[in-house]
Amino acid sequence: MNYDLNTPIRGRIWKFGDSVDSDSINPYYLFPTMEELKLHTLEAFRPEFPREVERGDIIVAGRNFGCGSHRPGLVLREVGVAAIVVESAARLFLRNNIALPLPIFIVPGVTALIEDHQTMEIDYAAGIVRNAATGEILPLRKYPAMIEDIFLSGGLPSLARQRYLRETGH
Amino acid sequence: MGLTMVEKIMSRRNVAATKVRAGDFMTARIDGAMCHYQFMEIHRMAVEAGFAEGLPRIWDPERFFLLVDHHQPALSQSYADENVKIRAEVKRLGVRHFHDAEPGIAHQMMTDYGYVRPGELVVGNDSHTTAYGALNALSSGITRGDMLHVLLFGEVWFQVPPTIRIRLEGKRRNHPIAKDIVLWLAGLYGDDFAQSASLEFTGSLIPTLGMDERFCLATQSLELGAKFALLPFDETTAAFLEGRTDQPYEPVAADPDAVYEREITVDVDAMPFVVARPHRFDNVCPIGEAAGIRIDQAQIGSCANGRFDDIEIAARMLRGRKVAKGVRFLISPASQQVYLQCAKAGLIEDLLEAGVQIVTPGCGICQPKVGYLADGERCITATTRNFRGRKGSLEAEIYLAGPLSVAAAAVAGEIIDPREVFDEL
Ligand code: SF4
Repeated sequence: MNYDLNTPIRGRIWKFGDSVDSDSINPYYLFPTMEELKLHTLEAFRPEFPREVERGDIIVAGRNFGCGSHRPGLVLREVGVAAIVVESAARLFLRNNIALPLPIFIVPGVTALIEDHQTMEIDYAAGIVRNAATGEILPLRKYPAMIEDIFLSGGLPSLARQRYLRETGH
Repeated sequence: MGLTMVEKIMSRRNVAATKVRAGDFMTARIDGAMCHYQFMEIHRMAVEAGFAEGLPRIWDPERFFLLVDHHQPALSQSYADENVKIRAEVKRLGVRHFHDAEPGIAHQMMTDYGYVRPGELVVGNDSHTTAYGALNALSSGITRGDMLHVLLFGEVWFQVPPTIRIRLEGKRRNHPIAKDIVLWLAGLYGDDFAQSASLEFTGSLIPTLGMDERFCLATQSLELGAKFALLPFDETTAAFLEGRTDQPYEPVAADPDAVYEREITVDVDAMPFVVARPHRFDNVCPIGEAAGIRIDQAQIGSCANGRFDDIEIAARMLRGRKVAKGVRFLISPASQQVYLQCAKAGLIEDLLEAGVQIVTPGCGICQPKVGYLADGERCITATTRNFRGRKGSLEAEIYLAGPLSVAAAAVAGEIIDPREVFDEL
């Protein structure tokens, strides 16, 4: 799936605290199929989340989001999460979201900007996130060009394929 | 201005052949790549990206290591079927270093077999790939998408991290202490204080630590957020590599004037035994504060604590003692080689006499493959993580501790300062 960093995103917020672990996002060893995973993702932190999350919702969380294993959070995309906005992310979770790709934004201070179920607007091109109710804004951290390229190519596997084809003369 | 260990290795491995510093983005040439049982996920990703047959090549079959851990022997029909597919891919791609008929944790087997050497840059599709930093190598987990890129080109992007230097001061111990040290650091500074940074361990304690302890430090540094965790090269490292590899290697040391983001000193002799309470790695307290909590299960194993020294201390302490009635004490060696080492030393017999259950080497007791917990049950474990649900029920509680404290709890039936149970300490 291609993801255009520059398309603004607007959605309802699901708020989480610090150190939300990748086991809770993707407990594949308890629920090995995607269909089962979708019914259980993040229930360790908010039992109602898998039942009530809707397509286009945005996750806002504190520090160290996605800590733990190298497992990807693809299930979040499957249940409809449009973006993840965090104070900070564990590096493998961040790398996964860049490789997949799945929009993730680092915004120090974001947990104080917005409350659960309020609406947020994310404008990467302008470099800001906004609380739609209060109008308050915060800057988001821009990615370096090398990483923007990965997002723009539709993720690292597609980028790798383009390079492979180029180098092998296809 | 001098260079840290990371800056030196990354500069050597920089595709653009320029010196790099903390903060720089770069493409790095990879010396070794480890994949575990999730290899087929990378295959499927390749198919999705348009490679109809899957990966068209492995950039360098000598540098790729595929170890089918986590699920040995096959735990279900689907894993058995997946393993057949992995074997077919191994054949098609001409993979040379393949282990699928031997249970064990990939990280331990990578080092058992001498696949990692000092000064190298090694990546793996598993978070605890930080483990090989114990061998003075730069090693880190990457994602499946990254691995696909590595397997095709032998290269992947990195941001060169800043380095935090951790000085461990203390005297030689007669029991493992590495787990307590990492938990102690997490308790003091949080489970993300090293997020995306590199750790360099130094100090008077290091020369007294054997490789098993060093692997524990490097492995568990991931739970502090670390991208890399490096230990110095010394005679202990050289002795470990002797007979495991015949390839040349180039150890790395930081320049005396290297720039550190932060320096932390731990007086290990003054440090209490600690536990991490549910459900976070940094929810740490001195063990005395958790004393008296009844346990149903105790465990020693995983890529953090499944090595000889971890199992030896349990066997030594349990000799002439028994596991408390009703407590299930599971010990799982990290690999077949570790298992054999334990068996030859007579440890397995001691453990069985005391009432311990020995579990096949591998990841089984770390993620719930065996030894699930029910609602309301409590487990104390020398494994890597205590996230809610990590052992099955969301209503179970997991306490993390070093192998000595786990053995003490198994004997007492409750969390207790190990010095109260083992007066010989
Ligand atoms: S022992 Fe546990 S943490 Fe280590 S690789 Fe296996 S499952 Fe992962």
